[in-house]
Amino acid sequence: MSAVTVGATGPVVVNEFAKLRHLRVGLVAGLMVLGTVALTLLSTVTSTEFADPATRTWDVPLAGLSLAVPMVSPLLLAVVASRMVDIEHQGNGWLLGSTSGVTPGALCRAKLLTAATVVVAATVVTHLAVWALGRLAGIDAPVPVGLWAGFAVTSLAVNLVVLALHLVLSAKVDNQLVALGIGLLGTVVAVFGSGFPAWFAHATPWGYYSLVAVAGYEGEHLVTTAPSYPSVLVLVGLAAALFVLVTSRFDRQEARS
Amino acid sequence: MTPSLSAVLGTELGKLKRSLSWSIVVLLPLVMVFAGSFMTLVSQQQLADGWHTLWLRSVVFYGLFPLTLGLGILASLVWRPEHRGGNWNALMSTPVPTLRIVLAKTLAIALLGAVMQLVLLVAVVVTGKLLFGLPGLLPPRYLVVTALLVVAVLPVAAVQSALSMAFRSFAAPVAVALVGAGIAAVALAAELGGVIFVLPHALTARATQLATGTFGDSGQLTAGGSLAIVCASAVLTLLVVALATRFQERRDVRV
Repeated sequence: MSAVTVGATGPVVVNEFAKLRHLRVGLVAGLMVLGTVALTLLSTVTSTEFADPATRTWDVPLAGLSLAVPMVSPLLLAVVASRMVDIEHQGNGWLLGSTSGVTPGALCRAKLLTAATVVVAATVVTHLAVWALGRLAGIDAPVPVGLWAGFAVTSLAVNLVVLALHLVLSAKVDNQLVALGIGLLGTVVAVFGSGFPAWFAHATPWGYYSLVAVAGYEGEHLVTTAPSYPSVLVLVGLAAALFVLVTSRFDRQEARS
Repeated sequence: MTPSLSAVLGTELGKLKRSLSWSIVVLLPLVMVFAGSFMTLVSQQQLADGWHTLWLRSVVFYGLFPLTLGLGILASLVWRPEHRGGNWNALMSTPVPTLRIVLAKTLAIALLGAVMQLVLLVAVVVTGKLLFGLPGLLPPRYLVVTALLVVAVLPVAAVQSALSMAFRSFAAPVAVALVGAGIAAVALAAELGGVIFVLPHALTARATQLATGTFGDSGQLTAGGSLAIVCASAVLTLLVVALATRFQERRDVRV
């Protein structure tokens, strides 16, 4: 312990990364990539817009991604958060951390940093895989870099907000039914979000998946649209402030046994 | 004298008191019916085919993912007390045969699943009458589908119970349920009807599609299709319960 400053962020994060291996978080992240890419591929090859090889554009896989991300991400993010936090409930980790100088709030912040790294890596792999498969499927049209990057960044931001929410939920409520149940209901909101009015989409974090979608079908026609950057920016700012506030309140609570 | 199955089941249901299981059992079907109806109202469309359209919008997506995931969460909840403290060893050292414990856990989950289907049925009827003012009542074929759904949740309850028994983690079996539901959705979209005899998640999803005309369904509720659901449910449930019992009997107490 002498080489490590007690309570410093770095060693706590390193410790969280060490925990990930036994928690099979890599496997869950792999599932997230596989599920998202598979759903994107499926909706792409079955689209009538993709039938003619001469007119294939990137809008079709982008519409697939805009559908697949909200279908797959919310529940698996809830699973990642629950896996990472439940061990502290079961193994008395909160108390152990507190007695060694790592407060529950600091532990939650370290968990977010660790899990966010995994989610960022999974996002990069997902988008690169869709691009590579699109090229293999014969899409020769130029890549709409701005639109795609906008979707990648904003959907990642929404994913990180949902992840932070689940980390707090799983930490606050011992019974993981609450976190996973909310994750399941969130999936429903995320999937149906595009059919709801804009005010409803803004009301929950999961509704924002519909606000960052860059392509979708209106009847038979495929239309593209820019992600709603201001909405996502406000969401991220609000979520960051709330996360800091709630986790700092964890710090002031007496250690849980 | 060893406790009877009904006594063990009673104990399992007792453990569920104040467990928040109602939040999944009641809220999930209500949210699904609400989401389908809300989208219809917002888009200012009419229910083109009355009760049939309302049923289709409420049930088909619910069967693909939310139902199996909800059962997965309930299974984790039912096994959760056993994985905490010294309860696992207490369970292993009771005179109750393993088969009875596995069966009672499966039936407790299936019972919650059955209540979910009834909540869904009532929600569809209430929405149809009060929100859309549909004439008459829900056609009887959907009552038969609901009864078949109550049977079809059994194999998913059995497999998710087995997973929650094997994993200490609450969330891991739910992730497996998502994978199962994903494979089931792809297989049913590809009209691979035989998958219901292999994958419990596909069987439950298929049961929700009965008489809807979606995926590979003909749109008619046939005796053959219904019998296939019942037979597949019985075979898969017995198989999974037998395998889970054998697996559990080979495990030891934990220190």
